Amino acid sequence: MAFVNLQNLAYKYPLTKTNALENINLQVREGEFVAVIGPNGAGKSTLCYALAGFVPHFFKGEISGEIEVDGRKSGESTLDEWVLNVGLAFQNPFNQISGAKYTVFEEIAFGLENIGVPRDEMKTRVEEAMSLTGISDLADRSPYSLSGGQQQRVALTSILVMRPRLLVLDEPTSQMDPIGTREVFGVVRRMAEEGMTVVMVEHKMEWIAHFADRVIALKEGQIFLEGTPGDVLTSDVLIENGFGISRYTSVAREAKKQGLWKKEKLPVTLDEAVEGFK
Amino acid sequence: MHERLSFHIKRDSVLHRLNPLTKLVLTLALIFLAFTFPWYWMPHLLILIAVIPLSLLGKVFREFWLTALKLILPAAGFLFLMQAFFQPIGTDVIFKFYFLDITSESLMFAFKNAMRVFVMVSAFTLFLLTTHPSELMSDLTRRGLPGQFAYVIISTLQIIPQMQAKAQTIISAQRSRGLDTESTFFKRAGSVLPLVGPLVFGSLVEVEERAIAIEARGFTSKHAKTSLHEIPDSDFDKILRWILFALIVFSIGLNLWLS
Repeated sequence: MAFVNLQNLAYKYPLTKTNALENINLQVREGEFVAVIGPNGAGKSTLCYALAGFVPHFFKGEISGEIEVDGRKSGESTLDEWVLNVGLAFQNPFNQISGAKYTVFEEIAFGLENIGVPRDEMKTRVEEAMSLTGISDLADRSPYSLSGGQQQRVALTSILVMRPRLLVLDEPTSQMDPIGTREVFGVVRRMAEEGMTVVMVEHKMEWIAHFADRVIALKEGQIFLEGTPGDVLTSDVLIENGFGISRYTSVAREAKKQGLWKKEKLPVTLDEAVEGFK
Repeated sequence: MHERLSFHIKRDSVLHRLNPLTKLVLTLALIFLAFTFPWYWMPHLLILIAVIPLSLLGKVFREFWLTALKLILPAAGFLFLMQAFFQPIGTDVIFKFYFLDITSESLMFAFKNAMRVFVMVSAFTLFLLTTHPSELMSDLTRRGLPGQFAYVIISTLQIIPQMQAKAQTIISAQRSRGLDTESTFFKRAGSVLPLVGPLVFGSLVEVEERAIAIEARGFTSKHAKTSLHEIPDSDFDKILRWILFALIVFSIGLNLWLS
């Protein structure tokens, strides 16, 4: 039985005419790292909100089908219970800062205070989470004085510290430099190895290919393609439908047209490209 | 760029170590005594025996006087002048300026009221200098203040400076597109809309996202909340609070009894 189970999920925001999600069927096993890609307006964020319980509990609107995580149905739960199991971090880091705390350390502890974790345990957990994401040196800074990338790390840490069973990330590295992005992917991979299930919306194809187990491509609210990163991220259908591809894939594609790429499979990462051009 | 609306200065002093509620009661006690105790020299005495010693005890003497004088001098000075001139009491005229005159009674009256305001503002300044806002709020939440209420207060203190910064960004952005913000009054008034629009609508979107973010971190969880920082609340605090409370009641009672 899958850890995350979406059955015929369809959803329409209030005051809109078309469905933001339609006919979504998705199973994710425990400890799997699934990446979600898709153009703007494809329903990526809505899918995140649905997994995290905000669709429909927060946004209302019309929903049909089932959202099930760890054997529990979203429709039969309340949002405050649901978030204990499912953590959500999204793109804009500035709006994820609670505003109620004056230092990064307090900011990360905010969620633990809310769910009543005892003080000593809280401190250990915050310290652990900060060293995991590499922000221990920011502990005493004001969250508002940080750069966008640093704020994104704080937002991610604030969710990780709550130890959700399912981690939902909506473009968590959009303001990070390449090194930061790589580190965050590494952290997320590690959490998956330790049994946390991850669904992550991202555009950075190389890193998806490096770290994710599976890729879901969304288009106009529906699952358009699904499979291993190597298959999905190099498929012609994907490119023809306006999805972005990694630069290594596009180079090898051009090379293939001119007979310079001998392998059958196109690369997504630098390593694969180097290997293929040898 | 991370200014915030907080006077708090981190020091290690007896006053800092008091429970936030004790300090709040102390502040209120000073104000009530200054305003209700039926003795002319009470506000003056309070400054001598309470405000000045407390500012030394809290190790914020310099900051306190800088802040307090900046806040008080204009207000208390204005109040003093207004009341000295316009209070129609007394007959002993000591200064005359056309139809305005100052009597020694109105002068005394104005002096007392200016000192009362001085006590009020300086008591609050001391309180804000030595109390961390989030400590005050978590202490009050622990005592039953709704968490949402505390959140609104605390986040406002931080978010207002952020909004000011954003307003500045919007002004610069609109000016770079030719919006007139520094010519005649009417032209400038016309420029308000393109500035306020983005700020207000942008803030509404932000509020929604922030609500999601704090909800995702268990804000409405029904568990009893805990607090990262331990907030001191000694027996001394409790006794002091009762004494101060008794003083307030005594002062109000005396005032009512004598009037």
